[in-house]
This record gives sequence, structure tokens and C-alpha cells, in this order.
Amino acid sequence: MRPAATARSLSAHAVARVLREGVTLDAALKNALVGAESKLTPSVRSLSYGAVRGYFRHEAILGKLLSTPVRSLDFLVRAILSVALYELEDERSPQYAVVDAAVQTAKATDAGRASGLINAVLRRYLRERKSVDAEIASRPAPRHAAPIWMADRFRADWPVRWTQLLAASDAQAPMWLRVNRRLATTSEYVAQLRAAGIEAREEPRVPYAIVLDAPRDVHELPGFAQGVVSVQDLGAQCVAFPLALAPGQRVLDACAAPGGKTALMAEREPNLAKLTAVDIDPHRLSKVRENLNRAQLDAEVLAADAAAPGAWWQGEPFDRILLDAPCSGLGVIRRHPDIRLRKSPSDIDKLPALQGKLLRATWELLKVGGRLVYVTCTLTRSENRNVIAAFLDEHREASLVPVEAWEGWPGFGEDDGFGRQILPGEAGADGFYYAALTKT
Amino acid sequence: MTKLVILEYPDPRLRKKAAPVTVVDDALRQFIDDLLETMYAANGVGLAATQVDVHKRVIVLDVSESRDRPLVLINPRLLSKEGEGPGEEGCLSLPGIYDKLSRAMKICVTALGRDGQPFEMNAEGLLGVCIQHEMDHLEGKLFVDYLSELKRTLIRRRLEKERKQRSTGGDSRAHAPAL
Repeated sequence: MRPAATARSLSAHAVARVLREGVTLDAALKNALVGAESKLTPSVRSLSYGAVRGYFRHEAILGKLLSTPVRSLDFLVRAILSVALYELEDERSPQYAVVDAAVQTAKATDAGRASGLINAVLRRYLRERKSVDAEIASRPAPRHAAPIWMADRFRADWPVRWTQLLAASDAQAPMWLRVNRRLATTSEYVAQLRAAGIEAREEPRVPYAIVLDAPRDVHELPGFAQGVVSVQDLGAQCVAFPLALAPGQRVLDACAAPGGKTALMAEREPNLAKLTAVDIDPHRLSKVRENLNRAQLDAEVLAADAAAPGAWWQGEPFDRILLDAPCSGLGVIRRHPDIRLRKSPSDIDKLPALQGKLLRATWELLKVGGRLVYVTCTLTRSENRNVIAAFLDEHREASLVPVEAWEGWPGFGEDDGFGRQILPGEAGADGFYYAALTKT
Repeated sequence: MTKLVILEYPDPRLRKKAAPVTVVDDALRQFIDDLLETMYAANGVGLAATQVDVHKRVIVLDVSESRDRPLVLINPRLLSKEGEGPGEEGCLSLPGIYDKLSRAMKICVTALGRDGQPFEMNAEGLLGVCIQHEMDHLEGKLFVDYLSELKRTLIRRRLEKERKQRSTGGDSRAHAPAL
């Protein structure tokens, strides 16, 4: 038997899986939609993304209405409530229809025992909504749907702007494209988009970046299949500046998947002597090949651990190394709202050790006079400035490349004494960190 | 483990009556594992052996949200039932078809487990409905049999049309009319 699958029940199952197993929402959605009618897909996507985006606000609302801790509820019950609260915020369905649907969803699933509780708590919310909402709006963390630990981290690192960063992380991200300028100029491509009925504008400070007025399916973009454009956030597109690529260089992309920055490098400097893309996850490496193939770009792609180069490195040093290190991703939450549900403070505290290890290992592969660019898509000092500071302390032969020597850096971000921190929302970009080191 | 092929309505093999299991051995347990894998892969909450063209009285279920509480019923038999209530059902042998149906609210069944030992259990809610649905399969009965002749004909036509489109490469689901 297959349980009656409604957009609401499929969404609740997907959200519950993210909560329970820490998988990405996209992975959970893919699984939940197996065998479901394809006409349900758009509403399942919008309901589950809405629930995940608002999840920590929804938890705070429930915390005000329940006598027991929210965390004592089953994952599925929390997910059903979060989907319903999103629908109430969204105001597209009548209030009592939303409540009834949540009760029906519970009854038709494993959460049947909680249908009474779901009914009671949602009805109570409708009665007390004004005062509950006012109270939630007065506290920055739940207001911007951030978990308390995340708000605490932001406040510790950004004591003045932490609420602004929470708000920026809660906003919708624009869709940025990178134009392959060997196939079209940005102004030509903007004109092509306009002809296709898509409004877009150039970002003059990054000469290959375009931002769309509203997100689109990539298949609607002219020339997408031929590699004329790729989807890539503005912050990520800035990688070419600190690298300062030039013909004849040997370049390593040490944590390459999914290959957006690999493709950018190959596109920016077609006459590299060699471009090697390494990633530890063979599964995600297929994404790198896909990205390169679509744009008809070439690179050596290796499934290997950048932290253990003995197993794969041929002994010839690199002129340029890009270390786009695994990180907490707190700079890209507006694009990946599920990060807030999937990461915990203890996960984040383990990252600097890994980042330092990768930095030390890849440093050995760098030519004297070469450049290593350290990148993360996060905002925590512990993963950015502190990693670079600790590395410089123990490596006398390493020195910082000042931002003035970053070829054409568009002036984004702020100097923390070591690198540049782009904050989410600045110039419409995601939050990224860049630091460049050279070997003497 | 192997994923098995699920028969689709109106395949006549879905009408066969299943025979009781006489011995619970490793071969049967292997089949049960395959049946569970097939059910999980199809996002089902229950699957009867009949649906994979094995006509033995075996059903597997998992109504848990975490998908980690498999339940195996060999030679299930209904001991008692109570009340009646509406619910909505779908079936892995009728892709995309859902309808409202009335079933007993509470049931008590006896069966053999995966280890061959007999047990009794009470079931209500989704689990109760699911057990009744799967036990019907063992009798060659489908949930559409509870619907009107007219509805059944419409469903059969729709599934046949979709199957034809699928075999010619079109994505039938995207265009399927809602019933």
C-alpha cells in the first residue's frame, strides 16, 4: 500500500528526514517524490522549502504554545507543524483549511497519535497569534529563523552587525550567472536574455557576472546547454581575482566538487599548462565533470584526498592552488536554508582542524613564488582568520599577498588583517572569505 | 538483495489467491528481504508477495516515519475487527491512483514472524488499514474493487494509456488527468 500522498504529507516527510538524518533538503525531496505524481512536485518543493526556511521561527512559536519542550515531539510531528505554520504565514490557504489539513496529514501517517495535539496547538496559535508573533518579532534569532547557537556565533564574531547578518541569511538569494566571455560578452548575453523575456543586469565590478531579476529554471536560459552561462553566486565568482591566473601555470583545485570554481578558472585562463581538480568524494566529482563538459572545458579530475597528496601527487609543484575548504556554510544560508537544521555547533568546532590540515598538506605542493588561495563560504572567525593566523605562525616561509596584489579585486568585503570577508547580502553576494598566501 | 518488479493493475496475476507458507526457511527470508527492499525503494508502506508475482501468504509493512521498523506477517489471519471509518489509500500496483475507502478501525491479527514463530497483534490507524489492504492482495483483491464499476473502468483506461505512453518514451505522469 502507498499512503495517500498529498503535497503536505510528502513535504512533512522530507522535512522530517532533514531533521532526523541531517541529509540535504534536496536529497530528502528527491527521495520523497519517488512514485509521487509529478504534478505535486512544485507545491511539495515550495511547502518544504518554506517550512525549512522558517523552521527555527516555527520552533519558537511552538515553544510559546506547548507545555512540553518542542524537542520532545517526533520529527514528523514537528515537520507537519512547521509546514502548517509556513502555510499560515504564507496566507495562500484559508486558516482553518490549513489546520484541518495538518490534522489529516497526521492521521494518514505515522503521526496519528499526535493529531489532537496538532489541532490544539495550531488553533491556539490562531487565537493568540498577535501576541505570539509580536513576541517572536522582538527577538532577532527566532525572527530571522536562526537557531540560538547560530545567533550566538554571529554575535560573538560580529558584535555590531550580527542581527543584520541574521536578516541577510533569512532573505531570498538572487540568481547570479557567470558568462563565458569566450562565447559571449555580458552585454550581448543580457540582450539575449531580454529577447527571451528574462530581465537581467550586469555587475560592472565583476566583468562576467549577471544577476537575474527573478530566479529561472536553467533550461530557460539561452545557451545554457552549450556552456555560454553557468549558475554561480557573485561571491564565488570573485575567486579569479586573488588567484591572478596566467598562461602556462600549473593549477590545483584541491576541493573541487561541484566544480563551479574549476570551470571558472578554466574559462578565465584557457592557456594554463595544467589544471588538476581533486575531490575526496568520487560521487560529487561526477558533478565536476558534468560542469566542465557542458562548457567544453578540460581539466584532470582526480578522486583523491587533498590532505594526503602522497597517494596522488606526481611531484611537480603548482603555481596556483585553490583551497576551497570544507566549512560550516554559514555565508550561504539564504541559498541553503537547510544548513541551519543540519549543522550543529560541535560539527563547526571540528572544522578548523580539518581546514588547517588541508592547508598544511596543500602548501607542500606549492612552488616557491606560487600562490595559494584559501576560500570558505562561511563567516566564523574560527574557520577564516584564525586558520590563516595559526598557519602563518607555524610557517615562516609563508606570507600574505595583500589585497592590492589581487588582480582587479572589486573592493568587496572587509579586511580582517589576513583576508577579505564578504558578508551575505553585500553587493547581492553570498558570504565568502578569501585569503591569499605566497611561498618565499 | 534484489529489487523485484511490481505487477500493475489490471495484470491478471494480481487476481491469484496466495497459498499458505508451509516452511519458514532461509530461502523465504531471502525473499522477504527482497520484498522489503522493493517496498522501501517504491516509498510504499506495505507490499504483498502477490504484487511481485509470488503467490505465497507473505506481507511486509513499515508505516514508521523513520522507515526503520519493518514488519513481516506470514500466513496472516484476522481474529477480530472493530468499527469502521474512512481513509484514503493508494497502491503500488496502481501508480498515481488514490481513493477514499472505508475499513475497520481496529483489528487483531495473528501471523508467523520472520523467525517462523506465531504472534498476535492489535493494529489501528495507518497500520491497521495497511494490514487490511495487504491481506486483500493475498486473496487477489485490490482496493479499487471497493469502488464503483464506472470508477474502476476509468482507472483501468487511465493506467493502460499511461503504460502505453511510458513504453513509447513519453512522460505520462506529467499529463495524467486527475481523477
